[in-house]
Amino acid sequence: MAISFDQTRLAPLKNSVAVVGVGETDYGSDYRGAGGKAVAKGEARYDSYTLASRALKRALDDAGLNKDDIDGLCVANLSSERACEVWGMNPRWSGGGDAAQCIIEATMAINCGLCTTVALVYGNAQRSMNTAYGGSRVTGGGITSYFYYAPWGLTSQGALYALLFQRHKLLYGTTEEQLGAIAVAFRKHACMNPNAVMQKPITIDDYLNARYVAEPLRLFDYCLINDGGVAIIVRRADMVSDCRHPPIMVSGFGWSEENVDATQLRPRLKDFYHTAHRDVAAQVYPMAGVTPQDIDVFATYDSFSVHLLASLEGFGFCKEGEGGAFVQEGRIEVGGELPCNTSGGMLSESYMQSWNHQPELVRQLRGGLGQRQVQGAEVAQYVHDVAGKCKSIIYTKGD
Amino acid sequence: MATPRPIRSMDPYAEQFWTFTQKKEFRLQKCSECGKFRWPPGPTCDRCLSDEYAWTPMAGRGKVLSWTTFHRGYFPEYPAPHTVMVLELDEGPLFVAYPVEMAPEDLREGIVLSLRWTDGQDEFGEYNLPVFGPLAK
Repeated sequence: MAISFDQTRLAPLKNSVAVVGVGETDYGSDYRGAGGKAVAKGEARYDSYTLASRALKRALDDAGLNKDDIDGLCVANLSSERACEVWGMNPRWSGGGDAAQCIIEATMAINCGLCTTVALVYGNAQRSMNTAYGGSRVTGGGITSYFYYAPWGLTSQGALYALLFQRHKLLYGTTEEQLGAIAVAFRKHACMNPNAVMQKPITIDDYLNARYVAEPLRLFDYCLINDGGVAIIVRRADMVSDCRHPPIMVSGFGWSEENVDATQLRPRLKDFYHTAHRDVAAQVYPMAGVTPQDIDVFATYDSFSVHLLASLEGFGFCKEGEGGAFVQEGRIEVGGELPCNTSGGMLSESYMQSWNHQPELVRQLRGGLGQRQVQGAEVAQYVHDVAGKCKSIIYTKGD
Repeated sequence: MATPRPIRSMDPYAEQFWTFTQKKEFRLQKCSECGKFRWPPGPTCDRCLSDEYAWTPMAGRGKVLSWTTFHRGYFPEYPAPHTVMVLELDEGPLFVAYPVEMAPEDLREGIVLSLRWTDGQDEFGEYNLPVFGPLAK
């Protein structure tokens, strides 16, 4: 695929849109339940609209705006029509998808003059509703590696990422102990985040003693399954003066997908999706005018710990094959060289399918996060890579 | 009665692939214009968009790229532990299967395995499942 982005046309979009509000539900206390008892899977407590609505209200309050200020809407995991009905909105533009995709779409829509202020809203009652991510309840649909190989007994996203990590082990000698540093670091971050589901630290021994799910991935390499909602309010950058917090700018973005032979697992096992990573890196860093060395806080999609290895190598934080060594010695922890997934991420804070990473990065740039604050954070990067559908956003502090 | 297995993802092209397995024929579509093999089966060549193809017999050999062992049971038909691997076929496509006639512990990167057949059935009917084991000595 030819490199088709045009930095000259992208340049005016840098810092043209700001994040002015973020809102999340109470992941930890919702998970533990009113009586301190964790919600069992399938024990319906919420639906996705309940959670999304709560997050939306909080994001509007955080922004100092009200719903009548919203003229564009992106929803994820919800029906746009029903969401608009629930919230009494008649938007002038709507989109949807993962969090990074919605940020990019909203930035484009605002720059086209279709709207000025967009609410990006996600809700997922996956624990209440006992959503399955593997096994017989996800088989027999269309064509995707997720369930195409059910006749051979291959199922679940976790197993696909286990295959990726096993390949990394075979090619580069990466060890399970090295991978374990990721889950340990993210848990440490979660323990500094009162809103995180997981609050008990784990050691590398706890990690190695935990059971395998799809070997070589263990329990702590897997994300949580919990209920939650996230909302983000973005607004045209010249309209932020009446908002409660200083604006956090959308300074760069990139998008590239690696789908050829995806079901065959070729880009996953032969490339670790690095072609998509390199394409996105070639767009996002020049657009924002920064390099990987300038990133103060980093977050990556982490339905499985191994996502971080692939992202760090693909975006040039270390060489290919050196991710296992890179994540050692506290380098990815708050206080380290590149603090990663500082909220605890989807492994230990909340599995919001990319959405919880955005409020965390915004708050890191606003400052005042206490123990887990990355001191002097000015540039934050989110990397989204779900089976090669890669996007990245760079946020910076507004002037 | 054939061995029950988790349901196949079925479409008009997959149906043709599985019909060949009833005769223990391992065939993939090869583009008649540019020669690219494709898997899973589909309507058109992803390289040149030609919809002309031939179901071409495969040599039935592939080298091991990666594998995973399920320690949690997801399907009643495959109790844990169950090992699944990915092979790179001689003709190019990657192919998922599970190892037979060998211990999963003996899998190694790059070893070459060859085709075996085992029976299977689901609500679409009976078929044979391509699996892989050690090369004949």
